[in-house]
Amino acid sequence: MNCRSEVLEVSLEGRQVDEALLALLHTILLHRSTGKFHYKKEGTYSIGTVGTQDIDCDFIDFTFVRVSSDELDRVIRKAVAEFKDALGNSGSDGMGQISLEFYQKKKSRWPFSDECIPWEVWTIKVNVVNLANEQERQICREKVGEKLGEKVINIVEVINRHEYLPKMPTQSEVDNVFDTSLKDVQPYLYKITYQITDSLGTSVSTTMRRLIKDTLAL
Amino acid sequence: MAHFDTEYQRLEASYSDSPPGEENLLVHVPEGSKCNSQHQSLIFFNFCNVYNLHQKNGFTCMLLGEIFELVQLVFVVTFTVFLANCVDYDILFANKLVNHTDSSKVTLPDAFLPVDVCSARIHDNVFVIFILVISGVFWLHRLVKFIYNVCCYWEIRSFYINALKMSMAELPYFTWQEVQARIIEIQKEHQICIHKKELTELDIYHRILRFKNYMVAMVNKSLLPIRFRLPFLGDSVFYTRGLKYNFELIFFWGPGSLFENEWSLKSEYKRGGNRLELADRLSSRILWIGIANLLLCPVILIWQILYAFFSYTEVIKREPGILGARCWSLYGRCYLRHFNELDHELMSRLSKGYKASSKYMNCFMSPLLTVVAKNVAFFAGSILAVLIALTIYDEDVLAVEHVLSSITLLGVCITVCRSFIPDKHMVFCPEQLLKVILAHIHYMPDHWQGNAHRYETRDEFAQLFQYKAVFILEELLSPVITPFILIFCLRRKSLEIIDFFRNFTVEVVGVGDTCSFAQMDVRQHGHPAWMSAGKTEASIYQQAEDGKTELSLMHFAITNPQWQPPRESTHFISQLKEKVHREATGGQQGTAAENHAFTSTHSLQSESEPRSLIANLLAGPPSLASLHLGRDSSIINHLSIGVSEGTSALRSLSPLSTSLHLRGSFPSARLPRPDHPAVAAGRAMAGSGTDARTVSSGSSAWEGQLTSLVLSEYASTEMSIHALYMHEMHKQQSRGELSRHTWHRQESDESSESVHDDVEAIRNLPRSSTFPFATTPSQEGAGLQSSSQRRYGGTTGNSSPRVQRTARMPMGGWSEEPHTGRHHDPVPEEGSEDELPPHIHKVRQHSSELKMDTVIRLGRNQNSSRLFFCLKLM
Repeated sequence: MNCRSEVLEVSLEGRQVDEALLALLHTILLHRSTGKFHYKKEGTYSIGTVGTQDIDCDFIDFTFVRVSSDELDRVIRKAVAEFKDALGNSGSDGMGQISLEFYQKKKSRWPFSDECIPWEVWTIKVNVVNLANEQERQICREKVGEKLGEKVINIVEVINRHEYLPKMPTQSEVDNVFDTSLKDVQPYLYKITYQITDSLGTSVSTTMRRLIKDTLAL
Repeated sequence: MAHFDTEYQRLEASYSDSPPGEENLLVHVPEGSKCNSQHQSLIFFNFCNVYNLHQKNGFTCMLLGEIFELVQLVFVVTFTVFLANCVDYDILFANKLVNHTDSSKVTLPDAFLPVDVCSARIHDNVFVIFILVISGVFWLHRLVKFIYNVCCYWEIRSFYINALKMSMAELPYFTWQEVQARIIEIQKEHQICIHKKELTELDIYHRILRFKNYMVAMVNKSLLPIRFRLPFLGDSVFYTRGLKYNFELIFFWGPGSLFENEWSLKSEYKRGGNRLELADRLSSRILWIGIANLLLCPVILIWQILYAFFSYTEVIKREPGILGARCWSLYGRCYLRHFNELDHELMSRLSKGYKASSKYMNCFMSPLLTVVAKNVAFFAGSILAVLIALTIYDEDVLAVEHVLSSITLLGVCITVCRSFIPDKHMVFCPEQLLKVILAHIHYMPDHWQGNAHRYETRDEFAQLFQYKAVFILEELLSPVITPFILIFCLRRKSLEIIDFFRNFTVEVVGVGDTCSFAQMDVRQHGHPAWMSAGKTEASIYQQAEDGKTELSLMHFAITNPQWQPPRESTHFISQLKEKVHREATGGQQGTAAENHAFTSTHSLQSESEPRSLIANLLAGPPSLASLHLGRDSSIINHLSIGVSEGTSALRSLSPLSTSLHLRGSFPSARLPRPDHPAVAAGRAMAGSGTDARTVSSGSSAWEGQLTSLVLSEYASTEMSIHALYMHEMHKQQSRGELSRHTWHRQESDESSESVHDDVEAIRNLPRSSTFPFATTPSQEGAGLQSSSQRRYGGTTGNSSPRVQRTARMPMGGWSEEPHTGRHHDPVPEEGSEDELPPHIHKVRQHSSELKMDTVIRLGRNQNSSRLFFCLKLM
């Protein structure tokens, strides 16, 4: 609850899902990553550089910029691929949402596991549409490109606002704020989760089932 | 973030990680970043616990309290089982002789059964086993909760210590306002709530009181089935802790409740689409919970009885009067609670009103009962006297069977009877007492005013302020009645409840879903009959009853002077304050005389003298009254209203001995303000306590002197004044509505009749003969009455355009009937506003003519006489 949440909605064709999501997630992560911190003392550090890289999309008229870190890219690609699989399995015109959550860790004493406190959540709602012919695909290709451009500007606007960011940590606490597992870049701690919503989710039978379950769950 | 210029260029993937020249780019971690992440989540979810920990005076007290609760539970169960199974009552009652005869005395251990017999008896008894199992499960549940709580509170403790810099030992010495101020400061520094740069007081209150606000609103809109019309008892209220627990379980936190988590309503309940289906679901849930209650009823009932027995028997034995004592009922607490009022604020307010309330209730002694009680007490007393005398003569009398028990019973009987016999030396004036009560409790149905002496009013007040005995009885009955209320009454309302939650839930950034009433937005929920006419756009369904929105807004603004309300509310508040202030200054000449009378009145009446000091300081109430008089062109020489209202407000001023030294500082604080140069500085305070408080917060010299405690006293006084004023305005307004067409005809007979009443009332006021009392009682009464009559004389001629309220009807709202009794037409704003100043002006002149001698006399030696009062009161 104590976190900002931004929602982006895209509707596109099945084969575009990969690239569109990568474009959005990478754009966000580009702005939420720093160079590696090199600590001199407990509270003093220098920051490494971050390279950027242009990526051209195959199925969309779009080029985006991402942090040039293959490791990061691999992680993101894996998450997106999982999401796409789940989306594909759920039915052809699936709807789903994938969310990128930035969080801070809070160390707890022994019996409890570390607590994750999210401070910003980006939710991308994906609506997959089916297109009939090549001409429509062509139009869609351009349209989605424009839409993504808008989204990127949107993201940058949100990020440009002076809003809460975790404060820079000391060396002992750097793991609570940043993901230090990558070699060449250091994004804020994040996790990617997804959820497939069946468009028939509120059918009568499921409602009844839920109703019975709810009433019995005393 | 580091400022590192990265040019937009394609880089090779294999770039070196440590750039050259990094020595120049050293960044330092700012101080104090540590506690930020530590407390971010914690504080957000747990404002409630932060408040609780403060109210429970720190961690250790809380821990001990919880541990003892657990121990108590174990004790009650084991002790009961032990008493039922392991005691040989024949030995205790001496029906059987003890086996061993080495000593003739029977000791307690003799009466205990041996362990094996005892355990065998327990094993054989299925019912006992059942109870043990149930209570064991319950206890384990409590234990888990306890451990969880301790962990939570431990974190909050560290939050207090590290972030707020308050050690647990000194926590009891901080008021909640101070804690709150620190939290707000912390937010500025560390941004514990990440949605906003700054937290406001209202945000904190909303989080702590989210569910309570809902409950208050639901009681306010009479949504909950707690009022019943019973065949023999008439209108009655049944609202117990058990019922409340069930309501909360159903709405807020139980499995499948309307709320998803602590801060947000489930999204399907926010949409109007499938309200019928949701209502069905809710009603079936209520059915299940009702059935569960029914099944558990025997266990809860036994628990309630045992608990009541163990906790009250000893007290009743010690002081049987406790059964005749009264307490604020649970319903009363809900009804009287403002939106956004914390527990301790409510309790202190109600406690201040306790004395007046019990006095008021004692006014209604049934003469019949008194006669009976006197005689019963006489007979019981004589038997008791004989028994005691015999006992004193020879204590063997005690050994005779049932002598001790009859002595005890007779004693109880006499105490009960005595509570029905009124005190001979008390003088009562119900109407005035009710005013005093109103000054504290701030809410009261309209029809009470002027009917304070009637039994109906008393009975209704008894619903708010019930006998302790009734309270205990209701708690005992609760487990039996609750399931039926749930199943038969609440279930029927499920659609209304669904609609209520949908219509009255707003999402506030950084707070979550709150009850929209708790926003205290006059425009959305104001009631036109409560001074928000013209400002409110609420339909009947959306209006809060009894002026709850308006009074809550005032209360919150007064208790949290730092709070910046939204623009419309600011407008409302400042307008109201200005009105009160204007009336205060407008009636100043009158006030001088009034205050005189009123001080003298009070000097006799008040039990604790220092109060009147501060009352002198803030001569708000009398001036208030005079302003009402001022509105109609009748004259200030009828000051009775002032006297009675003055006394009432006086009570509201709690004993404050510090005020004496403050007296001296008022002139200096006030003088810079040029608007009332002619007025004696102390008097200038009259208008509003806020002035004092804003001045005080403004000038540094004051800050040292006024602790926040004193400020909160001022706040409560000021709130009392405003509450009285608002009720007075409301009365005028609604009376104006009613009598607008008929007052011409009624004036003569009504006034003569009610003059009589009022004269009586005034005679009941003790009055000091030491001080000159300028007006005769009859004059006062007449003036009072005619003034209220004439008040709306002016408006009859005015065919002022009625403000058309835009009825925005939410789905599921009530259909808006144009001529419902409970709805008062809005009085046009301009009528009340534009007319006011000339009236006051006139009154000033008038009064100065008429009351020249008094004013001059008072004006001359005002200061000395006031000083004299103070000295006398010391």
